[in-house]
Amino acid sequence: MALTITCPICGKRNGYEFRYGGEEKGPRPDEKDLTPESWCDYVHMNRCVAGVQQEWWFHRDGCGSWFTIFRDTTTNLEKETPEAKE
Amino acid sequence: MFSKSKPMWGKKTKLKSSYDVVLIGGGLHSLATAYYLAKEHGITDVAIIEKNYIGYGGAGRNTAIVRANQRTQYNVPLYKEALDLWPVLTKELDYNLMFNNCGNLNLMHSEAAMNAARMTIATAQFHGVESHLIDAKEAKELVPALNISEDITFPIHGAMFHPPGGVVRHDAVVWGLAKGASKLGVEIHQQTEATGINTKNGKVTAVVTDKGVINTKQVLISAGGYSAALIHGFLGIKLPISVLTIQAMVTQPLKPILNHVVSSGAYHCYANQTLKGEIATGAHMDQWPNYTTLNTAHYIKHQAEALSEFLPALRGVRFMRIWGGLADMTPDMAPIMDGNEQVEGFFMDCGWGYFGFKSCSAVGRHMASFMATNTCPDILKPFALKRYQEHKLMGETAALVSYTPDN
Repeated sequence: MALTITCPICGKRNGYEFRYGGEEKGPRPDEKDLTPESWCDYVHMNRCVAGVQQEWWFHRDGCGSWFTIFRDTTTNLEKETPEAKE
Repeated sequence: MFSKSKPMWGKKTKLKSSYDVVLIGGGLHSLATAYYLAKEHGITDVAIIEKNYIGYGGAGRNTAIVRANQRTQYNVPLYKEALDLWPVLTKELDYNLMFNNCGNLNLMHSEAAMNAARMTIATAQFHGVESHLIDAKEAKELVPALNISEDITFPIHGAMFHPPGGVVRHDAVVWGLAKGASKLGVEIHQQTEATGINTKNGKVTAVVTDKGVINTKQVLISAGGYSAALIHGFLGIKLPISVLTIQAMVTQPLKPILNHVVSSGAYHCYANQTLKGEIATGAHMDQWPNYTTLNTAHYIKHQAEALSEFLPALRGVRFMRIWGGLADMTPDMAPIMDGNEQVEGFFMDCGWGYFGFKSCSAVGRHMASFMATNTCPDILKPFALKRYQEHKLMGETAALVSYTPDN
């Protein structure tokens, strides 16, 4: 199950250099009006898409950047995407 | 497999337009739930909906190990009951499940691990489960092939020995339960894919499949690694689950060398010798969620390195077969069992990670009682989805290496 990931700084690299950082869930909820539900939703809950999902990666053994990619979870292939949001 | 001939468990039936209960997923948790619904509650108008064939998923891909040496007070009694049920089911189903209670040996590679084992053993003994702490020499007496020298990567300090555990033939459990459930009137529909759940006023009304709509008031999703995606897709309920491929492999057959299940957290490896003589081994999970169920050279190499260190007699032995399955991991390494909470009539039994096999008999029995009476049995109450919101996560992670990519 080979995986390559395109780091915005280092380019296309072996997937084992990276650490998976979870599904893209949007911005961290505001502390104001925070409920146990919305916090739990942000911290724990996943969609577990069998298909293309946007997700976070950390270039652990490389430049150390955090970024998102689109990947098909049924094939492990990266999909053409707009670059990391931030 | 899908030919016109009669399936081994009974008659082939036509899918009806309504059932009392529909179970999505043709794995062990569904089969056991169906069996106990029929046997203990007289609910026989039950359909099991399976996209592929029964035992296609985790039920046929796990490495068949059973044990009750978990960490927390909530989990141990459940697994103990499952362990006690194997001989009972063998008799009841009149089907040889090939339960071999050869015992599990959990190797410990540091004093910290020995202390953790002491706590796990105390939990087991408190619940009446046999489990002992032994030193490296005693482990060597139990498994002479072990390397207890100090010049390996993770020298063995001792082990947790759990004699009542062992191995059960997983396919036999699938076939035995299918036969048993079918005999009591349960219908098993293979090659039938659930594509949705219809609700009205917060109640389940029907299950939509590629073979037609089935009206029902109760539905259970227990589809192993696919549960989380189905539950989110059908009802929009998100779960604290990450789905990972877990890999396993067997070597060529050897003369008897291992008469216990041996596992090591530090080496990320477990091994047992099957009755055919193969060393069945595995433990590795991919580091990122995926549904591929593919193997990687990375882990085959790791497995060979680990095995040849702590079981050096296996050096030069060849791997014969490799495969992968799905593990739906939760942040606290404990399953999610819930019902009538998010939607009336909707039940779920998922998040079992890599321990769904060991628990299937007992869980099927309690889920059946939950669905039949609409009352959650006390033993399942701590496993409700709400625990994540209430921050009442279970401490199972304390006993193991944490695999979830989220933590």
